[in-house]
Formats: sequence, C-alpha cells, structure tokens
Amino acid sequence: MAGVTLDKIVKCYGDIEVVHGIDLNVAEKEFVVLVGPSGCGKSTTLRMVAGLEEITDGTLTIDDRLVNNVSPKDRDVAMVFQNYALYPHLNVAENIAFGLRIRKVPKDEVTKQVAEVAEILGLTEYLERKPADLSGGQRQRVAMGRAIVRHPKVFLFDEPLSNLDAKLRTQMRAEIKRLHKRLGVTSIYVTHDQVEAMTLADRIVVMADGRIEQIGTPMDLFNHPKNIFVASFIGSPPMNQIEAEVETRGDKLFANFGDNSLELPALNELSGSDHGRKVTLGIRPEHIMTQADADTSSIGVELDLIETLGSEALLHTTVMDKPFVVKAETHGDIKHLENLNAFHFKPGMIKVFDRETGNVFDYPERLK
Amino acid sequence: MTNLQKKSQWLIQHFKKEWQIYVLLAPAMIWFFTFLYTPMYGLQIAFKDYSIFKGIAGSPWIGFEHFQTLFENDDFIRAIKNTAILSAYNLLFAFPAPIILALMFNEILNQWYKKGAQTIVYLPHFISTVILAGIVITAFSPSAGIVNTVLGWFGVDPVYFLSKPEWFRPIFIGSGIWQEAGFASIVFLAAIAGVNPSLYESAVVDGASRWQMMWKITIPSILPTILIMLIIRIGNLLEVSFELVILLYQPATYVTADVVNTFIYRQGIQSGQYDLAAAAGLFNAVVAFILVMTANTISKRYSRTSLW
Ligand SMILES: Nc1ncnc2c1ncn2[C@@H]1O[C@H](COP(=O)(O)OP(=O)(O)OP(=O)(O)O)[C@@H](O)[C@H]1O
Ligand SMILES: [Mg+2]
Repeated sequence: MAGVTLDKIVKCYGDIEVVHGIDLNVAEKEFVVLVGPSGCGKSTTLRMVAGLEEITDGTLTIDDRLVNNVSPKDRDVAMVFQNYALYPHLNVAENIAFGLRIRKVPKDEVTKQVAEVAEILGLTEYLERKPADLSGGQRQRVAMGRAIVRHPKVFLFDEPLSNLDAKLRTQMRAEIKRLHKRLGVTSIYVTHDQVEAMTLADRIVVMADGRIEQIGTPMDLFNHPKNIFVASFIGSPPMNQIEAEVETRGDKLFANFGDNSLELPALNELSGSDHGRKVTLGIRPEHIMTQADADTSSIGVELDLIETLGSEALLHTTVMDKPFVVKAETHGDIKHLENLNAFHFKPGMIKVFDRETGNVFDYPERLK
Repeated sequence: MTNLQKKSQWLIQHFKKEWQIYVLLAPAMIWFFTFLYTPMYGLQIAFKDYSIFKGIAGSPWIGFEHFQTLFENDDFIRAIKNTAILSAYNLLFAFPAPIILALMFNEILNQWYKKGAQTIVYLPHFISTVILAGIVITAFSPSAGIVNTVLGWFGVDPVYFLSKPEWFRPIFIGSGIWQEAGFASIVFLAAIAGVNPSLYESAVVDGASRWQMMWKITIPSILPTILIMLIIRIGNLLEVSFELVILLYQPATYVTADVVNTFIYRQGIQSGQYDLAAAAGLFNAVVAFILVMTANTISKRYSRTSLW
C-alpha cells in the first residue's frame, strides 16, 4: 500500500555528502515528522522523496514502486512549502485548481473538487481573492488545499507553519492533525520545532548532520531517548545535563559531581567494574521534585529566577556551572517555591548516558 | 499657532534633519533644469516668426501659422505616417523580441552555453550606431554584401535593398532588434530571476511541463515588468531611433523612411527653419505625452501596474 520506504538514501552536492544513508519506513496512513536542527538535511530528504532533488545513492519506493528515476509528477505526491508557493496572479480557486488543470481534469470536475476542498478548509468565501489579499493562515490553508485537491498518495510538508505567529501555528497544527485523521493520507512533515513534532507525529524521526539519530513515537522519544542529542532535542524546556562519575557501593550505583551524590537506577550495562566511569546524567525538568520522598536523593541549590507560567513555574539555577531548570507545580501560589534550597531525585527518573559515545545505558530492547 | 506656521516649522525641521538627501538629489535636479527645462523657454519660437538677429524674445508672435504650414506640407504628413507605421512595427516585432529572448535564455540549462549566448546577443548594443549601420549597409550591399552573395547562390540577381522603399522597414526593424533586443532582455531576465523558485517546484510536483510553467508561471509573473516596459516604450513611440534612420535612409527611400524626427532635422538644422522645426518638435512632444498618459491610465486600470 501507499507507504514510503527510504533505503540507505544518500545525497551529495558535488563532493559534499549531506545525507549519509537514511533508512526509513513510513507505513500507510502514518504521519511521520522529521525533526532536527537547521542544516541537518530534513528538507533535502523530503525533496528527494518529492523528486525535486536527485537521489545520489540508495533506493526510494513509494507504494512498493521504485521511484528513484520517476519524475515528480508521476510519483503522485503533493508538497506544501514553507512560503506556500501560491501563484500571485491566480485567485484562491485557481490556485487550488492548478494541479488539476495541469492534469487536464474536466472543468466541472475541477469546480466540484475545488468547492469541496474549500469547504473542508473554510475557504469558500475567499475563492475569488488573490493571495496578496489573504492573511497568513488563509494562505497556509490555500497551500494545503492545493495539495489535498489532488488526492495524492503522499503528503509532504516542509515547515509549513514556520511563517505563522505562535497562536496561529498552534491553531493550524490542530487543523493539520484533524485533516490527517479525516483524510488518512500518508504524510511526511519536516519541522525544526520539536513541539510541532511531538503534537503531530505518529512517529518522529530525529535527524542530526544528515543521519537519523532515533525513530520512535513521541512518548518513546520523550521517555527513552537513545542518546544525549535526542534527549536534549526533545522536550521543552530541554533535559538537564550533569556531568558526573559513577560510583559503585555494594550493588547500588551512585553518580558523584562536586559535593553531591545521586543514587542511580539499577542498570544492566553498568556494573561494579564501571566504577569511576564518566557519564552524563539527563534529568527532565518535570521529573525533579521539590519535596523529599522515601527513595529520593537530593542536591542543594540556590534559585536565580522563577518564571511563573500559571499552573506551573520554571525554577532556574545552576548546577556544576551549567544552567539547570526545574518545572514545578504552583498549586496557585509560588510562595512555597521561593525559598527552596534543595531538589530531590528519584533514581528511576535519571537517564545515564555514556559521555564518550553519548548513548544511553540500558536502551530498551523493544526500541532497538 | 496657525496651521501654516506649524507646517513651515515642520519644513525647517525636516530640512535641518534630512538636508543630506536633498544634496544628493541636487545634481539630478540641476541636470533636469539646465538641459530639459531651460530649453523649454525656446519652445515659444514655434509660435513666432523667429529670426536669429531679433532673438527669441524679440521675434514677433504669429500664432499657429507654423502648424498650419506643417499640416499643409505633404512631406510632414508622410513623416507622421511613416513614424506611425515604424512605431507600430516596432511595437509588434521589436518589443516582444527581448521578452522571447529572455524566456529562451531561461530555458537553457547549460550555464556556459547560456552565458556565451547572452554575451553574444548583448554585444551589438555596445557598438556605436554608426558602425552598426555601416555593418548593415555592407551586409546588404549589392556588390559585396553577404545577403546578396547568399541570394546569388540560389540564382537571385542582386537586390538594391537600401534604395528600395519596400525594404527599408524590414531592414530598419531588423537592425533595431539586432542592436537592442539582447540588451533589453536583461530587464526581463532580472524579472524572471526574481520569480520565487518554489513556485516552479510546486508546479513540478503538481505535474507541470516546462512549457506549461513558462505560460502559467513565468509570463504571468513578469507581466508587471512587461507592462512597465510597454508604457515606457509607448512614451517613446515617436522617437523611432532617429540615428539609425538617418544612417540607413537615402532620398530614394524617403517615401517609407522619412520620420518626424528626420523631417525636423532636415528642416531645422539643414534648412535653418528653426521655428518650423520647433513647431514639429512640439507636436511630437504633445503626442508622446498623450500616449504615455493614456498607456499609464489603461495599465493602472486593468493590471494595477503603472509608472506613477
Ligand atoms: N543546493 C545545495 N548545494 C550545496 N549544499 C546544499 C544545497 N542545499 C542544501 N545544502 C546543504 O545540505 C545540508 C542540508 O540542508 P537542508 O536544507 O536539507 O537542511 P534542513 O535540515 O532543511 O535545515 P533547515 O531547518 O534550516 O531548513 C546543509 O548543510 C546545506 O548547506
Ligand atoms: Mg529546510
């Protein structure tokens, strides 16, 4: 069925290799989000799927058909661009109809389809307008309409929301999600905004430097980052990192840094012989406690700043000369947070990464 | 404080703050004033019986007599007719030429080939019109010209192209295109370069062919530029390149070649009838002014594009 498979896809510009052999299986009806820092090759990968860039090496199949050398128009994909790529001289209806007109679909059919799509996207009353007379969100919708009207096998989105303001972005995000539920078309979506990735994706592909770092559901990535890069990329505010050394006491593991010692969870990949091993601890801001509990160990801190968000507050401090953020519940008041002088950690909430390789210890077998 | 005081105070403040801008503007203003506005004083001789000895101010007014003389002169009427015909041909053939050229350049994918071709078509623009006309005259010469040589291979007797009135217009328009089309295409190439590349990418994904993209994206996108150039062109419609006419025409081809400007030149400079020539020139200018205004208004109404 209409899945997309990338097998060892490589892209070179001249002598420079920018995508280094990507393997990715997008199932039918799946919504996959490519996320990663600027320049990591997300757009390039997407454009190879669209056929706008030649594939240097590897194979690409869409719907079980090898399409490496198939021209974009015969791949049956539709793409939504960051700057919308609307034709300024055509009105909304003509813009939406463009792809159908090109394919010589009969006029009545075009009119019908355009009306249908306009209805779905709430553009009916704007059909006669030129793109210049639309708001950013409306333009975005027209761009989506152009893609939808063709009933393609695959939707490709390249940062479609990044030109919108924050509020509109949230709104359009929900709309895209709803649209995908309704149409059920296989989609590949590129963004550098991890919130967008978390909210939209069935599965997220985290990329860095032309490689895939990890593929998984949003919750998998959040709970089980494969390495320090994914850990710091997914989640907002990002995961706190502390450089520490492993200490083994009996059958228990501890991490020492400065004058502090935190108890670590039991890890199969770390044993008594790893005493003194250099590791990085990763602790999510929302997993740190402001009150001690039976199995917690703690560190003393001094708060620099409290950012109140409403039901939650961000507590800023530094640990080992690095910024350290804790997300705490306010319960309607921040008084009880102001005089905090210690944070408490449950061993199970601490991720331990090998400082040499950046990989997490005890990465779950089912995710490998 | 009255409104006037407020305004003048604002103006003083404005000049104090922004005087540098006005200094920058000054040379252009001085140029316009000296070379385009001051000579307008002399325009009055179109309505005077001008004599060099009495001077512009001293010559007596005679109203529209020169205009009357002009319109009773068959040569002037012929010149207007020729100007109109050449202008129409120019608009029909010479105006689209650079647009077509730019569209063609845009389709060349090999960068080296593209640059080479562009350089070659830009070159004639940099050749002086005198030399260019010389080349044209030589090429069409009955004895040694390449055109007649080639025709000779097919057994055609030499044609005296440049002394045949029926050949003047094609040769003139053709030389004009040869000289300027390449250089004029730069404007359109720049306009094409300004088209958002993702429009093409989006069209490619939608399945458009290169031909469809040219018609549905490139041409509509550069339409505003085409319209602006058209307005400018229409404003200069009567200025059929006077030098080229003078260099290519001869008394035998006056029937089709003599235009208002060459008429003015012969009457004014060669025969010394400055007042009559001024009247003809004024007529030319008024018509040109009306043409620009009309073109601009039409363009503004139908395409939201206008010079001002
Ligand atoms: N036409 C090109 N020629 C040479 N290098 C290119 C070209 N296009 C992209 N690159 C390089 O390929 C790499 C990946 O680019 P790409 O556009 O895919 O990044 P991206 O992940 O989409 O980033 P962003 O989030 O900024 O859009 C970058 O290092 C970029 O410099
Ligand atoms: Mg990109």
